[in-house]
Amino acid sequence: MAASDHSDAFVPAGLASLGIEADETDLAVMAAVHGIFWPPILELLALDTSGVEPERCPDLSRAP
Amino acid sequence: MTDPLDLLLRDQAAAIAAGDIAPSELLDAALARIEQRNPAINAVVETFPERSREMLAAAPPGPLHGVPIVIKDEWPLPWRAQRFGAAELLTPTAPGESGPYRALRDAGATIVGVGNMHELGAGSTGNTSVYGAARNPWNPDRCPGGSSSGPAAAVAGRLVAGAVGADGLGSVRFPAAYCGLTGLKPTFGRSAMEGHHMAPVTTLIVSGPLCADAADCRLLGSALFGEELAGGDAAGLRIGVVRDSVSEDVTPEVGEACEAAIEALRTETGGEVVEVELADLQAAALAAILIINAESMSGVAPEQLNRLHPEISPIARGTLKYRTLLPTAATVQAGLVRTLMRRRLAALFEQVDVLAWPTVPAPAPPLEAPLVELPSGTLTADQANVRGAGLANLTGIPSISMPVGLSAEGLPLALQLGAAWRRDELLLDAAEALERANGRRWVESLPPLAAAEPTEA
Repeated sequence: MAASDHSDAFVPAGLASLGIEADETDLAVMAAVHGIFWPPILELLALDTSGVEPERCPDLSRAP
Repeated sequence: MTDPLDLLLRDQAAAIAAGDIAPSELLDAALARIEQRNPAINAVVETFPERSREMLAAAPPGPLHGVPIVIKDEWPLPWRAQRFGAAELLTPTAPGESGPYRALRDAGATIVGVGNMHELGAGSTGNTSVYGAARNPWNPDRCPGGSSSGPAAAVAGRLVAGAVGADGLGSVRFPAAYCGLTGLKPTFGRSAMEGHHMAPVTTLIVSGPLCADAADCRLLGSALFGEELAGGDAAGLRIGVVRDSVSEDVTPEVGEACEAAIEALRTETGGEVVEVELADLQAAALAAILIINAESMSGVAPEQLNRLHPEISPIARGTLKYRTLLPTAATVQAGLVRTLMRRRLAALFEQVDVLAWPTVPAPAPPLEAPLVELPSGTLTADQANVRGAGLANLTGIPSISMPVGLSAEGLPLALQLGAAWRRDELLLDAAEALERANGRRWVESLPPLAAAEPTEA
């Protein structure tokens, strides 16, 4: 499904579930942002990280 | 005689220490120049001459004694809460002593003004702000870069010689690149961050210096770090180059300037260029976005989004609401990608000392339509820019952007170097080596605005 089609359902449903109001301008912006972000999010979710042992509370100031 | 405001930061400090310049005169000159030049670039959104004079009167004899500095609208000052470039923040703020304020005060600096920034820190262009867009001194119709737009434009326009920005997703490096400056994104946790409204939760944002060159960044950075960033040399520098979209999907001018700079750096340091593999850079950039989103939205109630200030821009309004919908599963995956990339980088920095790639894939786009034309097609500048910047914030490593040329349209081009954790000093050494290699041509290039007649102090 294209991101634009997906946003037709996903964005209003998400807003409704959280009780967030949105006007037409908000929805247009959200659809555009969704079109940019959603495909790479799906790619990110598909990335195989099964062998990655999570760092617990990583110290970002140092190497792992 | 050179106008003191056109001196480098370290030369201003040295001239004051030697008694050649009275700091009160330098402060007055900076205020006058802001009044003269700022209307063209909207870099400084507020000055407070009496506060600045009080700060100067109480200034200790530190390394920045009497030097005027601009600070981004991202930290509280004792007399002013940060506005984050927006009509409203979703996190409460109040005036106070932030870490960067204390660092500057203790170094003897004088905060002369607050720098504009991209609304809510959420953009790489600086074209949206509650104060109106900041403009690029190289061409006022072009983006100055964001989100530290005002600090960069102020230094590039020689309103001041140094400014403090913040970098959560490239926000020091983008404006440094667009404005022809040197900008350091420190190792996470090394530079002052106290008092930032996200300090308790962020794992990405750092304060960082924006200056004309690396030695000035070293001086201002030392104040922000609270420790001297000692100079060394970058002899035998092993320069890693990743051949992927970050380095390849760039305009021909950017590609050629960065290749030439890498070769010049190699020659100057007697080092070597090593092609290395670093997969999933685009996933890393998205992971950084997802994590900063989770951190910034963590305490936001839906009801807050239903009564946003009417002056919040339509883009910010829609984007804020969209950000509440991003799935937690994606943020969890982003955390795993962070771990993956940190381990890959740790292994990579056994092979090379620095990684090099273009800071941004194209020079500053128009303010009215911040799009960039790349070999892969037309992208928004934000989409294109984050690809090369997110990795450093995601993993915590330091990164520096430095000017390496001018486009045919007279806009700055920039190279970025990243190094292993806590090797910020090496990045400054390498940037200084590159300046030597190109005869300081690019760090001494002035935009038309700054090449104007000096201010009468």
